[in-house]
Amino acid sequence: MNCDELQGHYELYVLGLAEEEESREIRQHLDRGCEVCMRELGSARELAAMVGGTAVMAAPPPALRRRILASVGVEARRLGWWAPVWGVAGITALSVAVFVALFFRGREVDLAQQLVDSREQVRNQTIELTRLTEAFAIMNGPDTTEASFGKGPQQPPKGRVFVNPAQGVLLIASNLPPAPNGKTYEMWLLPKRGMPMPAGLFQSQTDGTALYVRRGTVNVNGTNAVAVTLENAAGAPQPTVQPLIVAALPSNS
Amino acid sequence: MTLLPLIMAVEVEGEAELVKRLQRRDPQALAALYDRYGRLVYSLILRVVRDTGVAEDLVQETFLRVWNRVQGFDAERGAVGPWLLAVARNRAIDYLRSTVGKARNSLEMEATEHPALFSDMEKDILATDKARQIKAALEKLSAHQRQVIELAYFEGLSQTEMAERMGQPLGTVKTWVRAALKNLRNELGTAVAI
Repeated sequence: MNCDELQGHYELYVLGLAEEEESREIRQHLDRGCEVCMRELGSARELAAMVGGTAVMAAPPPALRRRILASVGVEARRLGWWAPVWGVAGITALSVAVFVALFFRGREVDLAQQLVDSREQVRNQTIELTRLTEAFAIMNGPDTTEASFGKGPQQPPKGRVFVNPAQGVLLIASNLPPAPNGKTYEMWLLPKRGMPMPAGLFQSQTDGTALYVRRGTVNVNGTNAVAVTLENAAGAPQPTVQPLIVAALPSNS
Repeated sequence: MTLLPLIMAVEVEGEAELVKRLQRRDPQALAALYDRYGRLVYSLILRVVRDTGVAEDLVQETFLRVWNRVQGFDAERGAVGPWLLAVARNRAIDYLRSTVGKARNSLEMEATEHPALFSDMEKDILATDKARQIKAALEKLSAHQRQVIELAYFEGLSQTEMAERMGQPLGTVKTWVRAALKNLRNELGTAVAI
């Protein structure tokens, strides 16, 4: 097909509606560096982007911003497993500090700075608490299924997964070194039938620990195991290497 | 189709510099990118998956994917907003289809979101005035034409799947799709050089 014959198919291609024959033709034109097709597809992508912009606007939760930044290594202070305790204690201590600062007037500048710092600390702790609350909700759910992995000496990553049908999957691991540059860990749900289902990308901490929450419903009865592979940083639609972690769910082990 | 007042006073000034900072692996640039497009990306993904928890995970994957692939993006000629939306839509549609055992062809997904493909596009395509134009253009479509565009874009259905969903012959659906795209092209002639 020449470019004229492909007119009208570019938008279909971008929307995933083109027939296989036209899709293949367009890909071949692109592979040849066809400027006409590049231009036409650019216009089609502009149209698609504009349609995408018509979604009803919704506000993402504030914690999501920090989660995303944390995934590229911008970590707030590590709080550890006792974070909830420290969180409450920290908030209380900060409140007292603010009260004392207020009591001793004449230090308005210091006080203003303390307030800014306090708010930032409280905000960070609140975000961390939210993540841990999600994790605890999965761990403590009455219908949560739990599985261990890495018990053998030849499998360095050790830990547990908790799978809750309504709330999602929690993975806790140790001995999981930070992924090399350009790589990331990808979690998978291995169904009893069918292909592995991608369940999100995550990074471990520098000390080899990882706590990853994949929220959303899970068909626990239809799932054999939870697995983790090391993939290229953009992730993969299907595992490309043998898994580092395979946690077989109890009913299947 | 629910078409609410959009959007998007998306600031495109300094976008090339922002992309260059991303390419230098400046995490604060990712923060700036999120501040600029996070709401839009989240809204699109939530529209597709209709689950806030899943939407949050997919927004994270979207920004991580862009972060990891930005080296292939042309800072001077590229339009990062449309690229982000394409990546976001792919993640969301892929999730939606995986839940019903209809995984998408990964080659097709790669082909529609490669960063090099988003060069020489209008950088302000997501600006407010363009948003008004697309809204007006969509509102001029017939109900069936709007529905097929919505099913294609926000649910990732093929024309065959649309025909099954709508209980209409495939030929009829194809006619609606082509007419809808033609009308959009005509209406947006000044906005999109189609």
